Amino acid sequence: MIELKNIEKYYANKGVKSYILRHVTTSIKQGEFVSIMGPSGAGKSTLLNILGMLEEPTYGQYEFMGEDVVSLNERKRIELYRNHIGFVFQAYHLIDEMTVAENIEAPLLYKKVPGSERKSRVADILDRFNMVAKSDLFPNQLSGGQQQLVGIARALVAQPSIILADEPTGNLQSAQALQIMDLFKKLNEEEGITIVQVTHSEVNAAYGSRILHLLDGVIKEDVTVQQTV
Amino acid sequence: MFKLNLKIAFRNLLKHKIASLINISGLAIGLAASLMLLLYVQYQWSYDKQFGNSENIYHLMVNFYGADKSITGTTPQVSNVLPLVLKEERPEIENISRVLWASRRLVANGQNSFKVEGRYADPDLLRIFKFDYLSGNPNKAFDDPNSIVLTEATAKRLFGSTDVLNKTVRFENQANLKVTAVIRDLPPNFTYGFECLTPWKLYENLNVWPAKQNWDNNSYFTLLTLKNGADPNAFNQKIKNTIARNMATKTLEAAPFVYPLEKYHLYGHFTNGVADGGQIEQVRIFIILALGILAIACINFMNLSTARSQKRAKEVGIRKTIGASRASLVMQFLLESFILTIVSVIIAVVLVEIFLPAFNGLLNTKLQISYASTGNWFAVTGLILFTGLIAGSYPAFFLSSFNPVQALKKTVTFKGNFSLSFRQVLVIIQFGFAIVLIVATLILYQQLQYLKNRPLGYDTNALVEMPHEGNLYPKFDLFKDRLLNSGAVTSITQSSGSIAFQNSNTSGLEWQGMAEDDKKMSFDLIQTTFDFLKTNNIRLISGRDFSKNFASDSSALMLNETAVERMGLKNPLGQRVLFNGKQRPVVGVFADVLWDEPTRRLRPMAIVFNAENSDVITMRLNTTRSIRENIDQITKITKELNPDFPVEIRFVDNLVAEKFEHEQMLSVISNLFAGLSIFVSCLGLFGLSAFSAEQRTKEIGVRKVLGASITGIISLLSVSFVKTVLIAIVLAMPIGYLIMDNWLMQFDYHISIGPVVFILTGISSILIALFTVSWQAYRAAKANPVDALKYE
Repeated sequence: MIELKNIEKYYANKGVKSYILRHVTTSIKQGEFVSIMGPSGAGKSTLLNILGMLEEPTYGQYEFMGEDVVSLNERKRIELYRNHIGFVFQAYHLIDEMTVAENIEAPLLYKKVPGSERKSRVADILDRFNMVAKSDLFPNQLSGGQQQLVGIARALVAQPSIILADEPTGNLQSAQALQIMDLFKKLNEEEGITIVQVTHSEVNAAYGSRILHLLDGVIKEDVTVQQTV
Repeated sequence: MFKLNLKIAFRNLLKHKIASLINISGLAIGLAASLMLLLYVQYQWSYDKQFGNSENIYHLMVNFYGADKSITGTTPQVSNVLPLVLKEERPEIENISRVLWASRRLVANGQNSFKVEGRYADPDLLRIFKFDYLSGNPNKAFDDPNSIVLTEATAKRLFGSTDVLNKTVRFENQANLKVTAVIRDLPPNFTYGFECLTPWKLYENLNVWPAKQNWDNNSYFTLLTLKNGADPNAFNQKIKNTIARNMATKTLEAAPFVYPLEKYHLYGHFTNGVADGGQIEQVRIFIILALGILAIACINFMNLSTARSQKRAKEVGIRKTIGASRASLVMQFLLESFILTIVSVIIAVVLVEIFLPAFNGLLNTKLQISYASTGNWFAVTGLILFTGLIAGSYPAFFLSSFNPVQALKKTVTFKGNFSLSFRQVLVIIQFGFAIVLIVATLILYQQLQYLKNRPLGYDTNALVEMPHEGNLYPKFDLFKDRLLNSGAVTSITQSSGSIAFQNSNTSGLEWQGMAEDDKKMSFDLIQTTFDFLKTNNIRLISGRDFSKNFASDSSALMLNETAVERMGLKNPLGQRVLFNGKQRPVVGVFADVLWDEPTRRLRPMAIVFNAENSDVITMRLNTTRSIRENIDQITKITKELNPDFPVEIRFVDNLVAEKFEHEQMLSVISNLFAGLSIFVSCLGLFGLSAFSAEQRTKEIGVRKVLGASITGIISLLSVSFVKTVLIAIVLAMPIGYLIMDNWLMQFDYHISIGPVVFILTGISSILIALFTVSWQAYRAAKANPVDALKYE
């Protein structure tokens, strides 16, 4: 599904290149659950952003479902996100002025899904996440865990083939964090959604099937997780 | 999507109440001001165009030539015979009509009698303008000289009804006229407006001198239409020599031409025979003011939206990651700005309705919003689109350009880059405009005071005048005696015109030792009998006022100082001056009187003894008695002697004040707009300082923890705004100086611009700006640093 070849990312500052990513080459297959780990400043988030086409690599080749992303124009790239990628953020990043239901509906609006189908899909997902009663609340009326659930619901509603999650449990208490990770695992196993998450937590990483260890922009280790649970 | 965006836009408006309030109130004020100004512009624009066919109506005008064959003057008034000759000679003319200046004419029907604005015109006038007839036939209305056309309002006032065809009106207490038509009231923006119209033939029947064909007296307006397809330029070539060919004795060289009536009001000022503006200059000033104040309001909107962009950046980032395209974000922000604009327009219309009466009073107009006119709706829609687009464009395109990663990480840099400097440029534009207006206001005020303080040369205190008419002609001496005996007045005189404003001049006077060119010297002319100097309290320099003790005074003359000086008379008293074919001795020299516009230089003036030409009676009230008492007494005596006319007593100081109307109006307008633009600019500055304080909360917290004082933080937050205003001051002042210097140059009598105006403007703008921003700075500085640092 994803092929990265020799991805490099650096910022030139006063002639000095500071590298974020160096020679990153890897591939992620459909249905994998990958965790990207590493200390602060290792380039995890940058790698995730490049996967999500939010940032462009300085150098290197990136193929997403057989398409060369680097050469795509903005409109095509937007097409790709809309149809295949769902984002989940550490800070949830819900739109404060929208209700829960509206936040979930927004990606469908951009995808130009017809009204009746929108309604049923939003209702469906609210039901699945047990949030029907909260559908008219605004984000600041919810707890962090609930907000992150909305964030995931929003990522899922467009039926993406891959979810990119940047420390999805970073702002949550451990009980809520477990709940989120269980949800990811379930989505991965039951619906075959590819998941790539950035995390600091070994516990969270254990939910996945594979761990990429990043250090100073270089992939140090690429291990397959033995399912213990 | 649209519906959701609409909902979100409203939620945003309600959530950020202060910003919305600043935006909406600023925009509403700006829009209301520009709507009012544009109403005025429309009013001026539609002058004389209300009766259809206006593009085919022409005004007959005359160019006068000097000795070197160059055009020395252009006037819209022609002789009474030229139109008759043209009508006979030129087949291209469809209709042609002379029109007399409007005068207050007495109309009566037995019960009611009052004065209305009346004009005399030839029958063709009713064919040139397609008035709206309630009754009567325009083609026959003036068949009989003893006819009168009334407007609806006049008919109702006279008879209480508009169904008054064939009823009789007593006109000027001189003739009984039959009502032959009633027309709808004329719009105020019509050059040749009237409340009653009577045939030219009647004018000739009632007065002796207008009937005489006279090529020399260029006093009459003339309007005409040309037959379809006639080219006015070719026509002008053909009529060029008409005056030269027909005039028996060539006292002057003049060529008539026709000028489109549509352009007459706006472009009616001629220099050397070329139309070079007129009322259009005021229209232009108003358009600039309207656009300027609207721009200031739009800038507020742009600035506040971009200042808030850090908050909105997150939303943009999220929307982009969930699939929003740039176009959809642009649409969203534009939608928000349109909603704001529409709300502002609604408030603006309410404001206009509230303030229009005062504005009308100020401009002496009758503007109103006509909600039925589709053109206005188009204009308002256009205004909304324009304003919404201008106000929303920058935030829309700026915010939508954010890179989602940076936006979400909050690393979009706002400091020191394009956005901040652009914002500063906008603030500089706002304050620059406001400062130019403040400079203009102060200079206008100084000039107005300067003009008001200019000595008039006569005493307006307790000086009143009334028209000399009806029985007051034969009974003037009796009237004078009775008033003096009653003690109501201390002095009384008759004259050809009011002392308050210039109303007559003459040239062609001859005296001993004059140069050939002096024949062209133009003199202000007042014709009077006894007590003119005494009544008006004009200072006599030498000699004496006209006196009953000298029989020869009935053909005497007095000159003012300027006349004596220009004429080069060493010993003026006793010199003889030829005027109207009579040698007249100079019996007195009096101090200069400011008779013309107060902005003009003093002119030579001659006061000539002539009992036959009198229009005005001037009286000095007895100041030992109350004004009320005096006026009642005068009214009673006048009514007794002249019962057919209403008594119209006017105070000369009010008439003099009217001379300052234009400057006064400009002064009020500039005051108003300077105030509004500084207010709206400060609203924006207030909003900006609030956001700046908010953005720098963390910095302020850190500084306070490190020991910064409150004053230190206030100055830290205020200094950049004050700097911006300083730049605006430096840039705007020379512009203000140039504009106002240029404006003052058109007057003979004007102030010179001193540094005080600029010092005052500079200090006051900085103080206002400082006051505006320091409140926010103070609040930010007083806040507990722990709160600021706890944030996230």
